[in-house]
Parts: sequence; structure tokens; C-alpha cells
Amino acid sequence: MSEALRVIRRHAENWKTLQDNLLDMRAITSLARVVGLQSANLRFQSSSLFVDPGMVKQKIGSMSREQLAELLLLSWHPVVELEQLTDASTKEALDYWQHMLSFFERRKRLATGPFETPGPMDSPELARMRVLEEKAFTKRLDELRIEMKEKAGEEERIEYWSFVRTSNFPQTVLRAQMVSFLISYGMAVLERKREKMFLIPRDPPFASRQGSPLSYPIPITKEVVTSRAK
Amino acid sequence: MPGARSWELKTGLGKEYLKVLTQLDVSLKDLDLEVKKVESQVLSDYKPGPDGEEESRYFVRLKGTLTPREARMTGWRIDNLAALAACLSLIVSKQGKSERKELEEVIGQKVGRWRALTLTDAFLRSGYLEEDEEGLVKLGWRTRAELDLQSLMMLIAESKPKGVIDQEFAEATEVSPPEEAPRDVAGADLEEDQASTDA
Repeated sequence: MSEALRVIRRHAENWKTLQDNLLDMRAITSLARVVGLQSANLRFQSSSLFVDPGMVKQKIGSMSREQLAELLLLSWHPVVELEQLTDASTKEALDYWQHMLSFFERRKRLATGPFETPGPMDSPELARMRVLEEKAFTKRLDELRIEMKEKAGEEERIEYWSFVRTSNFPQTVLRAQMVSFLISYGMAVLERKREKMFLIPRDPPFASRQGSPLSYPIPITKEVVTSRAK
Repeated sequence: MPGARSWELKTGLGKEYLKVLTQLDVSLKDLDLEVKKVESQVLSDYKPGPDGEEESRYFVRLKGTLTPREARMTGWRIDNLAALAACLSLIVSKQGKSERKELEEVIGQKVGRWRALTLTDAFLRSGYLEEDEEGLVKLGWRTRAELDLQSLMMLIAESKPKGVIDQEFAEATEVSPPEEAPRDVAGADLEEDQASTDA
């Protein structure tokens, strides 16, 4: 429709005779009829709430958030609500509070044994209970990078599994996870050569953009760790 | 849930409660409010009253509509309004039921995936949507009470994308003198980005 109107508009200035202009008018009237019929059809569909879901999806996709919000506002009549305290609800709340047993009475029902007075707890104790980490995460990362650098030595690179693997499986998984952070943060580089993978430690300063933009899924199962050890 | 059930009104006001409601409706007109009756058959959570009579629920709601400027006072963001419009129109077009995942995908295109998840939950909590045992999402009691769905669907069906409006506006201003150019009045009320509609 827009294209048809654009063509008519483009040539409008070239018409000289009355016949030319009448032809234009006829074309515009026909276009208007098409729009009218389309509109009537849409109105009928919308009023009976039978609208093509594909068309609705397309419309939603093509409209901006502001347009959609505005259309909702034109059809929205919010309900009036009043929330207030009444005498009855206040009395109910007061009764509940007054009839509530004391903390110590309620505690007795739980049979939790003698009451221990709350006392202070120091950081090493919290770390033993795994509530706190013993070292900050970034500090642990840096320590691992330094360890990688030392093990890499003059070659400046170390084979992935020989660095990650330990005799303890959970420890191996933890090291692999920490290494993945080193690579993401640009503190180390993972290089693949045929079937082997090498880790190259980097020196500061580090920038996050130096991190690997790619993901390498590395399966760590007990079988993989033992076979690599052999 | 706001509103009053028909049997509650009958108990409190007597058998002629409908006349009282009609009078209330007249009085509320001055405040741009109206009494809205919502039939029980469209509200899944309503049960028949004590006397077995089919129950309706009556709400007092805004008679007119809010301007974008006024809507800001409700505390709703443009994202919320747009997502609700998208949700409702999609469910209506699917004959009243839609899969939650599909809804979240459609809203996600507008407001982002995480926001789509939280907004769908918010709409379910506030009663605009309801989820049945099969996990299908349908229109909730609040939608029946607050939304004029025919008007919403008509506006959406007749709307044009923002780009088309801008293009047509530019073309019109090229051809017509400035005072004859169409003006997007409603869109001017939204502050951040210009929002417009040809509805």
C-alpha cells in the first residue's frame, strides 16, 4: 500500500490533463477501498477476539515497548483498591500477640536441650565449618598462577593435565575450576596442539579482554584422570 | 482479592442491592469511576453463593483510561505495561490459553529473558494471568475486571511499527506544509523514547 501511494505521489506533478488526474483519483479511491475493507475485516476479527496468533506475534515483534505500553493504557481501567486496618483485624492481631508464649516456653517444645548462651566465633573456626573461605578467591587465583609459572619454568608452558591432576580427585576438580577462571580472566592462556593442551601463565597487568573468548569443554571423570596419569 | 461478591452485597444491602449499585455507579461518574460486574463463569476461582445462586463479583474501577504521564504514578514501568500487553494479546489470539514458555519467549524479545521470567510470575501473582494444572497460562480475574480486551486487540491489529510511522511522517512533512503534518500527540507524553501509535 505504501509503495503504491509512493508511486502515485512521485508522478503526481507530471500529470497535465484532467484525464490523467482523474485516473490518479480512481487509483487512490481503489486503494482507500482496500484499506477500508482490510480495516473492517480486522475490526470484525478483533471484536470477536478471533485474531490470527501469527499476525499478533508479528505485530508485537515490530512494535516498540513504548507503543505496546501505550496501547495497553488505552484499554486499561485499573480497579480501585483500599487496604486498611479494621477494628476487628487489629483486635485479632493484639490477641495473637498477647496469647503467644514466651520465646523460652516455645523453645522447650522443640526439645533442643539446654540453652547455650551466644558467644563469639573466630574466623578460623568459621572456616573449619565452611562458613567462611580461608583465603579470598582472587588471592587463591594468584597463588595458582604463580605455582603455574614456577612449574612452567623456562619452557613457559606446562601440559594441562600434569598441572591440574593431583592424587585427590575432588582437589583435581577444584584445580580445573580455578584454572578455568585463570583463563577467563586472562591470567593464563590455554593452547591446543593436536591432542595435548598447554597452559601458558601470563604476567600482570591483566585485562579481562585478554581472556579466552572461546569455551573448551574438558570432561573430568575419575577414568579420565587415571588414564591421563598412566 | 478486591471487590464484593453478589451474595455479600445481598446480605449487606438487601435484595435490592442492584439498585444501590446503579445509584453508586451514577455517583461515581463524577470521580471518573464506575461499577464493573464480572460474571462468575469467566472466573475459575469463584464458587456459587450460599443460596446456590450463580455468583458475580463487583469491582469499582477507573471509567476512563490513564495517560502515560498518569500511569507513571502507578509505579509500573514501561517494560511491565508492554509485557502485559504482549501477554494478553497473545493469549487472546490463542483462544484464551497459551504455553508459558511461548509467552516468556515473546516477552523476552521485548524486555530480556530474565525480566520476562520475573514479569510472568508477577502477572500470575497479581491475577492478570492464571496457570492451570497442565501448565497452560490463561487470562486471570484481574484482566477480566480491568482490561477492555476488544479495544486492546483492535488497537494492536490496527497498529503500525514505529519505523513505518516515522517514515510516513517524514514523507508527509516533505509533501505537506508544516501546519498540515500529522502530529503524534499521545507519544509525546512518554519521556524516555518517543512512543507513538496510529491507533
